[in-house]
Amino acid sequence: MSSVEQQIRDAARQYLENGVYCVTGYERGPRGKVRPAFIYQASDVDRLVWGPECDLNLVNYVHQFKQPLRRGEPPPKVAVVVRPCDARAINLLVHEQQIKRENVKAIGVACTGATPGDPERQACQVCHERVPVTYDTLVQAEGEAGAPPAQDNYTDIVDMENWTPRQRLDYWLKEFDRCIRCYACRQACPGCYCFECVAEQVDPHWTSIALELPEKYFFHVMRAFHLAGRCVACDACEAACPMDIPLSQLNRKLAKEVEALFGYHTGEDPEKAPPLTTFNPAERLPL
Amino acid sequence: MESRNEFEPKIVAFLCNWCSYAGADLAGTSRMQYPQNVRIIRVPCSGRVDPLFVVKAFQDGADGVMVLGCHPGDCHYQQGNYFAQRRYALMHRLLEFTGIESDRLFVEWVSASEGKKFAQVVTNFTEKVRALGPAAIKSARRAQPVREVACGETLQEVSA
Repeated sequence: MSSVEQQIRDAARQYLENGVYCVTGYERGPRGKVRPAFIYQASDVDRLVWGPECDLNLVNYVHQFKQPLRRGEPPPKVAVVVRPCDARAINLLVHEQQIKRENVKAIGVACTGATPGDPERQACQVCHERVPVTYDTLVQAEGEAGAPPAQDNYTDIVDMENWTPRQRLDYWLKEFDRCIRCYACRQACPGCYCFECVAEQVDPHWTSIALELPEKYFFHVMRAFHLAGRCVACDACEAACPMDIPLSQLNRKLAKEVEALFGYHTGEDPEKAPPLTTFNPAERLPL
Repeated sequence: MESRNEFEPKIVAFLCNWCSYAGADLAGTSRMQYPQNVRIIRVPCSGRVDPLFVVKAFQDGADGVMVLGCHPGDCHYQQGNYFAQRRYALMHRLLEFTGIESDRLFVEWVSASEGKKFAQVVTNFTEKVRALGPAAIKSARRAQPVREVACGETLQEVSA
């Protein structure tokens, strides 16, 4: 048993014995794959596991515990196992007043920089965080020297910016054409928590459910824009996509522009407002 | 008379009720000439123009989209155009990145007294979009819409 796993279990046990309603982590399913686990009892903490294939953003599941369990009670306290990228989502949700920081206990796992599961994962190649920005318990692997933090120069994005608009349109239409509109990208994202998504809204009926290219284009551009300045770059959307659509390129393009225009990094600081939710009367932006 | 084959751009303009719509009105009552390509949609504020509307307009066949609002500091609702400014600074870049030339989206501040400026920006923008040609995103639309199947129709009849 790795010591990281043991530390997660110890932390989970401690939280459950001290008034935390549920711990969200990973467990091994019947076929040996990891899956999210919701642990309600201290006697169950040994189900929790940790490994390189644990690559969901579990902060997504705290939305399930936003409402009180019984009328008149405060919402339950929960604990969640987070990597550095997931921890940024906690700050985002705290800022957006979706959760109270004291109600969510973060079991932060220091990332070794080794790509979990998928070696091609873009977010990990350019990640510069090894320790979560926010945590209540820090779990550190012993004796594992992590890969050095990377510098994100957005080289792939700059490459695409040098194409002609027609080339980019053809590229995106080819990629979006595979979309089956399963909305897995939306479901996997901790930032996508509207009760009613524009993609499914019937009144007003913004877009049909047709599997046509313009509708797919509409959905993906809107999904990306709704996360402009809010995306925490965990790449859970791209990992969830069954059709391998490079959603991280859209997210990273917006992250690049948000950084250039507003100097803002999502999730860094729960006090700082995402750029599109605020304004500065003195600024004049290129339109 | 222009020839039938000449490309006439379809332009959707979202005008803020308090400034730009009044500016368009002034242009009209002053009998200023501006291209008829523009289809005006009145909105309460430029801050009301969700980027969703812009993408929707392109999806439904617009060649260009204009968003006109009050000058910074003059918003009827104090701050709507500041939000719009941030939003559209980003939207320009996202559209450009996904293959819609950023010249097809035009955001400008036009006040109620600027009927002349309104006529001017509409003329300039129409000519710019005319030069760009039809929006390529339109080619993504299937030429033959999927036909609804009538009750009792056989498979042979449908595929025929």
